Formats: sequence, structure tokens, C-alpha cells
Amino acid sequence: MAAARVVITGVGIVNGAVVGDSAALGAFLAAPRPAPGMAPGAVGRLAAGAFAGLVDAQDARRLSRVCQLSIAAAKLAMRESGVDAARGLGLVLGTEFGDLSSTHVFADGFLERGAAGLSPLLFPNTVMNTMAATTAIATGARELALTLNAPTVAGELAVARAAAAVAAGEVPAVLAGGVEEIDPVVERELPALGFGRETLGEGAAFLVLETPASAAARGATILGEVSGASWRALPTRPWGVGRQRVSRAIEAALGAAGLEAGDVGAVYGSASGDRARDTWEAHVLASALGPDAPPVASLARLLGRHAGLGVLRVAAAAWTARSGLLPAADEPATRLTRVPARPGLVHGLARGGAHVALVVSAA
Amino acid sequence: MKRVVVTGLGAATPFGLGVKAYWSGLANGVCAIRPLTVIETDTFRSRIGGEVPETPGGSSRRTRADRLAIAAVDEALSDAALGTRDRADTALVVGAVGGGMLEAESWYWAAARGQRGRAVPALRSVLPCAHAEALSARFRLGGPRHSVVTACSSGAVAVAEAASLIRAGVVDTAVAGGVDAITRICFMGFNALKLLDPTPCRPFDRNRRGMSMGEGAGFVVLEDATRARERGARVHAELAGHGMTTDAYHVTAPEPEGDGMARAMRAALAQGGTPASAVQYANAHGTGTPQNDRVEARALARVFGEGALLVSSTKSMIGHTMAAAGSLEAIATILALGHGVVPPTANLDTPDPDVAFDCVARVPRETPIDCAISNSFGFGGQNVTLLFRRG
Amino acid sequence: MEPKEVLDELKTILVARLKFDPRRAAETTELTPLAKGVEGSIGLDSLDFIELSIAIEERFGITMDESEDLSEHFASFATLSRFIAGKLPAA
Repeated sequence: MAAARVVITGVGIVNGAVVGDSAALGAFLAAPRPAPGMAPGAVGRLAAGAFAGLVDAQDARRLSRVCQLSIAAAKLAMRESGVDAARGLGLVLGTEFGDLSSTHVFADGFLERGAAGLSPLLFPNTVMNTMAATTAIATGARELALTLNAPTVAGELAVARAAAAVAAGEVPAVLAGGVEEIDPVVERELPALGFGRETLGEGAAFLVLETPASAAARGATILGEVSGASWRALPTRPWGVGRQRVSRAIEAALGAAGLEAGDVGAVYGSASGDRARDTWEAHVLASALGPDAPPVASLARLLGRHAGLGVLRVAAAAWTARSGLLPAADEPATRLTRVPARPGLVHGLARGGAHVALVVSAA
Repeated sequence: MKRVVVTGLGAATPFGLGVKAYWSGLANGVCAIRPLTVIETDTFRSRIGGEVPETPGGSSRRTRADRLAIAAVDEALSDAALGTRDRADTALVVGAVGGGMLEAESWYWAAARGQRGRAVPALRSVLPCAHAEALSARFRLGGPRHSVVTACSSGAVAVAEAASLIRAGVVDTAVAGGVDAITRICFMGFNALKLLDPTPCRPFDRNRRGMSMGEGAGFVVLEDATRARERGARVHAELAGHGMTTDAYHVTAPEPEGDGMARAMRAALAQGGTPASAVQYANAHGTGTPQNDRVEARALARVFGEGALLVSSTKSMIGHTMAAAGSLEAIATILALGHGVVPPTANLDTPDPDVAFDCVARVPRETPIDCAISNSFGFGGQNVTLLFRRG
Repeated sequence: MEPKEVLDELKTILVARLKFDPRRAAETTELTPLAKGVEGSIGLDSLDFIELSIAIEERFGITMDESEDLSEHFASFATLSRFIAGKLPAA
């Protein structure tokens, strides 16, 4: 049975530099600039009020910050897409840290005032599926709702899993998102936790993925296509950087898209300032794409590494496949490189070897 | 559609380490819910739970949850006789919620009390995805790996996800399941929500007052049926189908009509090409809260018809093992099929007249069954049903 | 405790524990319905009521018997005040 194609009909982004849909993303990519607070070993925090107006005030009362962030981005994607949740909508959300802020505030309540200081309202937020649960309520997604937790590649993984669900006919449409907030306790301990050299960010990004038939039924604009998606693992010790360079994920994603390495016009990789990991990924990409490999952008220097960025890169790859422009984020004053208007590869590789490859085409 | 079979089982439960201890407890209707010792419980209304009595061996630097998972996966892989070469292409899907939070709490509590000097636990050992990293390395599982967090249904979702990978032809074999250790946050939270019974839970009882805490690890080896037959693997059961839905209703309360639950059950039946009338036993989510049991019973009645099958709750014996519940209860269902014995609902003294099913009160039921489902309904309306057929 | 003091404490709880906007809390009167689904209510659901009852127990030093059905006491701040006053030790 031939797998169904998977098209992108909506994009929603909330981060320090972009708040909006695919048009806002396009404007950013055409003139890229760093979000506030970006620096190695630092966290670029979202300004207070970054998503004001995107979440209903009544609902917001009970929603933690990271849940509001998730809902804001998901609603932007839904609005652009016009997809009707009642026809069957799934949700796949990737995150690395979840709602740790609520967790430590909940614990503080007990440590400061004993059992009477515990807040029942906060408790549901201590389970990492809280963003998906609240976003499902806000958007009416009633089919599968998955929260995927992974280091570094949670966003890319969410898109790959969501694409697989659409391709397999599990569900006609899926909201695929990455959401990340950095808890102040984590921020304080960043060096001790091993994140010292990376630029971390906050933000959320969602795509609406659906079958072409579902999109055509309402005349939705196709923003791009996920023509291949795969996730695998490279051998190495836990949280280590390995030496294996042959990626079966890239091979599988290209194969699913019916493409060869030479057909790839540009690459969005996951380099973020973790030198050893970045180097490993560079080797893996070089091994897969050969000596004439296309240029690689990451956007982590501009937007900070976060699960939302992993998803944003997929939308960015569709933009690049259309425009033939790639932000080369080698220095803060970024420039754009001309690339062939061809399908792009989105790749993420985590310490410990989990990695994801997606082939993204223009509409 | 490819057929998926279960060729290995592994468990660490409040009955002890190993599937044998697990089945022995279940088949005798033993309630393993006792005063908790892993954490302090003073000043809390409910102070009991299902605790794994023997700490599994392994490095003390590993978190409790990691050690539980390792013990269970070790057993499952041995049971399946899955060799090194097969493991290199075997996928891993882990359902987790607490991760290494127990150890993170110890650090945070000590810091709050001014006890400096303890190293920050590596965040990487705290997050739910930590288990998958540790397990894949320890057992050289080289296939795709991912971790799912769907609250109380995580273990079942992991099993469903692994089945999807096999049906899609991505892999031929997968290790899947869930793990959770008791944590202060979980214990305190459920106490604060007033969802815990101070005495061992009594699912489907008219006088039920809430859940009991629990911990454990349950993992299965899933395989493409043709491949399993070719290598002469012993088949415990067939995983004939699964269904996953979302209530999209409330962060803690189930949607009162049980519509999401019913849809999950129907989807599992549809994928398995099985009529509702063929199902003889439902291993319920059955937490013992007034709400869950009432809504679940209603949903079961809508899908299968009142009194149409036997229903029992494993949580009555081991408590709610959180991320492990879905997979441990799947294992209980598989064992019931294999042994021809339906484990009882312990502590069920006065069946709730509004529950229109025989809930196998207190005493196990010897009866051959060929087809059964296992339900898991997580916080936030995350519903999963797994459909099993005798191997 | 004077009824007005009890009302002010309840409004403080609305802000501190139930995360209400201070202006919204200030606008709440004794007679405003509390439960979601009642016209003109401030929209509290089951989770909110659990939080509210814990906050009340802590703030006023009383205990609520969970086996009782207390929903009628939680209809408005007026009914809640009377319920709390009835549980406080006599001055």
C-alpha cells in the first residue's frame, strides 16, 4: 500500500524573534536577526507578554506559561491552516524539559508550608503531557495525542512521528509541535548540567500536517510537503558522542521521498554550540551527502536551541525550497546564501545517538 | 496488515522481581499495597502504596526507576531469546512520567534544607527520556528509540507505538513498556487532589474512595509474527490491535460520558478486525476513584453491552503504577490468556450496583479466554486500548 | 472574624491560589455564583474547588469532612462565609 503524501497547511511560531504564521517566518528568514539574549551558555528568554492576546484570558488563568506558549503557537497554525478538528485531528508534541517550572514551584509549596502549601491546581502540570493535554482541549484534537520527550531532537521527532501518522492513514490531520521553556532552576545550574556552551532558547512552533485530500477538500494553501521522515539511533554510550557516521535515517528519509543525496538543495542541521556533538553531526551529514554537499544552516545562534526550533526548521526548509535562499547563520550579522530551489534535508542528532531526518519539499 | 506477536515478558512489581512473582500474586488475588517506605509520608492522609520490595541490583548511581526498567527489560530479552544481532535492529519505546525525579527530589529537598555539597543530579538522568538512553546502551538495542509521556497511559502507549513501528515495516522487533518509581511529587500531588484512598483501593466497589499509589516496570518484546515463527520464538499472545484517543475535555477529570474511552476500545477492535462479542475479558484502568470506575463501566457497557464480559482491575493488587501501569496490565492480560485464569479485583466487598459487570470479586476465575483488552486512561484524557488474542 | 474580613480573605485566595486577575477578584461580590455553568459565575470547576477548599482549610484553620456533600456551601461567597463562620471556634 503506497503511503499517503503529507502536506503542510499551517505554521504557528512563538519565540523571541518571530510571532506569527508562515508569513512571519518568511519575513524573518528573509532578514534574519538574533532574538534577544542569545549567547553561548545563556538562555534567550521570551519577553513577558510575547504571546499576549493569543491565549484567551479566562483560560489563561489556569494555564502555566509553557502551556500558554504551546496553545498560542498551535492556534496560530490552526488559524492559517483552517483545518476542522471535528474531521479528525491528532497532536504530537516534542519537548526536552516539559513544565519543570510548575514542578519546582509545586515542590516549593510543600517545602515552605508543608502539605497545606501544596497546590492541586499545579499538580497536573508536573506531568510532561500537560502541554499536549491543554493544547488538545484548546484545539479540539481528539485523535491520538502524544508527548515525545527526547534530548535535542524532540521537535524534529514530533514532526517525523506526526508525518508517519498521516502517511499511514492513522488520522487525516495532525498538529505537530515543539515546545520549550527553561526553568530558572535549570538555568542556574546550566554549567553543572552540562549545557555550558550551547545557546538555549525558549519558544514553540507547530505545523498542521495533513493528507492532500484533506487539504484539497477545503481549498487550503499547501505551504510545503514532508516527503520523507525517519528516526533512528547511532551507537554510542548514553549522552555520548560517537564515531559512527553512516545514518540510516537520512537514507530512509531520502528513499521515502524517492530522492538521492544529490537532489538535496540545502540542509537545516541541529548545531548549537556543543562542539563535539556539532562535529559529529557534520561528519554524519558529509558522509550522507558527499563531497558536493549543500550548505548547512542551523538557526540555533539566532533563536537558541529548543524543541520549537526543531519544528520551525521544517517550515524553514519549505521556505528555502521555494525561495532558493538559506540563512547562513555563521555570524550574528547574518547573510543569505543562494541555494537551488530543491527539496531540503532537516536533520537533528542528539548526544546518545538518537537522530531524525526529514526531507521537505516546496508545495 | 502485518501481525504482531509478543515473544518476551519482563516485570518488576510490588510482588517482587520477575514475571513469576507477578503472576503468583495476581493469580492468588494478593493485595500488595502496604505502608510506603521509599519516601516520608508523615502528615499525609494516604500513606500506603504498592512498592517494589527488593531493590534491583545494579549501580547505586543509577536511579531507582532505571534499575527497575533494566531488571524488567533484561528478563524480557532473555525470555524472547533475542540475540545480539537481532538487538542491533530492535526498536525501543519507553513510557515514562517521573523519570529520575525521586533522586532529583532528594537533591532539591536537601538544598532547600540548607544542606549544600550534594552534586546536582544530571538533568539527563531525571528526564523521562533518560530510561531509553540507559536501556539502549545497556542492552545494545540499536534500532529507533523514543520515549512517550502520556501520564497514566504511558506504558500502554509505548506498546502501541512499538506495534505501529512493526506494522509500518520500520523494524521487525521492538522492546516496549513503561516504568515509574514512587516520587514525592506524585505522592503529594495525588494526596492534594484528594484522589487517594487511605486504605487499599477498592475498584468497582460501591464504597470506593480513591486510588492507591504504586511503582514498577513492565516491558514486552514485540515481533513481526512471520519473523517470530521463522526463528522459532515462543509466542505469548498476539497484539491484534490498539486504539488511541484524546478526551480534549479537562486536565484531570474524564469526560463524563466516556466517549473518548469508547472510541479507543472501538478503534482497537476495528484494527484487530474483531467483533465486540469476541472479547471475553477487559483488564480495566480501574483506579478505584469514584469517577474513573463509573465512567469506564459506562463506556464498557456502550461498547460491549452490559454484563458481556468479565472485568477486573490489577490496580486493586499493585496500586496505580503510573507509567508502568499500561504495560504491566498488558502483561497481566497476556498471562490471563495464557493460563486461562482471570485475576480478581481485590478488596471488592460490595460491588457497585451501577457497574453492570462481573468484576471477579476477590477470587480468581478459572476460565479459558481467547480474546481480551487492556484499558489505560491517563490524566488529560489520554485513552489507550490494547487488544490481545491467545498465542 | 467579621463577615467582611472573611470575604476579603476569600478574594485574596482567588488571586493567590486560583490565579484570578486582582481586578476580577475585586469585582466579585458575596452573591456572585462560583460554579462553572451557572450564569454570571466566575467559572470554578472541580479542580478549582479542591484548591479552594485546601486554601480555606489552611487560612481559617478548619477541616472539611470529605464524606459530606459540601457543594451547596460553595454556591457563592455568602454561603461559603456562613459555612466557615459555623466552623470557626466561638470567639
